Amino acid sequence: MGVERLIEIMQEQGIQLLQRHLYLVFVSLFFAIVTALPIGILVTRPPFNKKINQILSFLNTAQGIPSLAVIAIFLPIMGVGVRPAIFALSIYALLPIARNTVAAINSLDPDVLEAAKGMGLSKKEILFKVELPLAAPIIVAGIQTATIFTVGTATIAHLIGAGGLGRLIFTGIAMNSPEFILAGSLIAAAIAITLDQLLGYFQMRVRRKFGG
Amino acid sequence: MNELQRIANYFTSNLDRIIGYTLEHLILIVIAIIFSVALWVSIGIALRNHKNMANGVLGVGSFIMSVPSIALYGILISIPGLGLSRQSAVVGLVLYSMLPILRNVYVALNEVDKNILEAAKGMGMSEGQILRKVQLPLALPVILAGVRVATVMMVGIATLAVYIGERNLGVLIEQGLKRSRSDMIIVGALLVTVFVVIIDFFIGWLEKTIISKGIQSDDPSLPGGDL
Repeated sequence: MGVERLIEIMQEQGIQLLQRHLYLVFVSLFFAIVTALPIGILVTRPPFNKKINQILSFLNTAQGIPSLAVIAIFLPIMGVGVRPAIFALSIYALLPIARNTVAAINSLDPDVLEAAKGMGLSKKEILFKVELPLAAPIIVAGIQTATIFTVGTATIAHLIGAGGLGRLIFTGIAMNSPEFILAGSLIAAAIAITLDQLLGYFQMRVRRKFGG
Repeated sequence: MNELQRIANYFTSNLDRIIGYTLEHLILIVIAIIFSVALWVSIGIALRNHKNMANGVLGVGSFIMSVPSIALYGILISIPGLGLSRQSAVVGLVLYSMLPILRNVYVALNEVDKNILEAAKGMGMSEGQILRKVQLPLALPVILAGVRVATVMMVGIATLAVYIGERNLGVLIEQGLKRSRSDMIIVGALLVTVFVVIIDFFIGWLEKTIISKGIQSDDPSLPGGDL
């Protein structure tokens, strides 16, 4: 085990795999956010809002599905490579964002909505000027959770040929090389922690701006 | 033979192995949960009146939580003395359960109504009695919610422990991916998912059974963990 070898691996392969990893994470998060928000909002409108508790518990349970299972299940359907990986990662990241969107809108004080209605706001105005701003901090918390999940799950995406930092970790385990394992693990952990902190800070700003 | 038949066929002809993997999965989770609950509940109790220290420790927990699980396993097996062993698998799971369990224990113990504590003190109860007979029973729903989140998470993370030498349901997925056997992958993914749902359901039932009837919440959206 040598620190020099560790740094060498990080320089030779780490940077390139880090780029691929970030690509997987950000593209998947983008797709997850643009699908989860409309779905989350739609679910809180009639006629779906009658089943909201069932939908929430479904989303809770679905979130418990192991990441390895989610990544693997799309292989028989979509084959290997970056595309199935992004598809699987997006679906996995969609769950916490949709769940938090539904939960946040669902938990808003009915009196506030009543007041907005009384002031003559249209349904659309209520959604964009009242509901979404008040729900924003919790929605951002969902995005934060989704980001951390995605950074972690993207390491597994190596198993279906999508590259990323998982390659260093899994290669290291197979070759019994702590340098490879640590190179991949440390970079992956560093990204996860950095993004978590950044989004935590962003969430705090949102909370301050919109209250709640 | 069509795909569905192949899947059913794989399942029935490998039932013995599948049962073995399920048991291994269960054993690993049970060991990890016992250690986690013992460790994090006692630490939570010890920290209940030390706000600053608790915040520091919880910070470490959320730090660990954000480390990808295969990366944490990678780091653990690089540590001499742990290596490719069940110890590494268990230590990893216990570390991941730190945030959900410890946070819920700490928060729940501190959220017990001050008036109730005052009343207990007024009745002449000692601090230990208050903890055991008042605080812990009242905090139990939130503590169990944390244990539930941790357990569900562990079942998932345990599937990755096959890459560090465990032989649980994750093996089906791992081998299926390695050999491009879609029947193995699908059977593995479905079984793991069913396993998670059953475990979640079981702890939900446990919550209903052991929590005092008077303080049971009928809120179906009880903390699924906003981790």
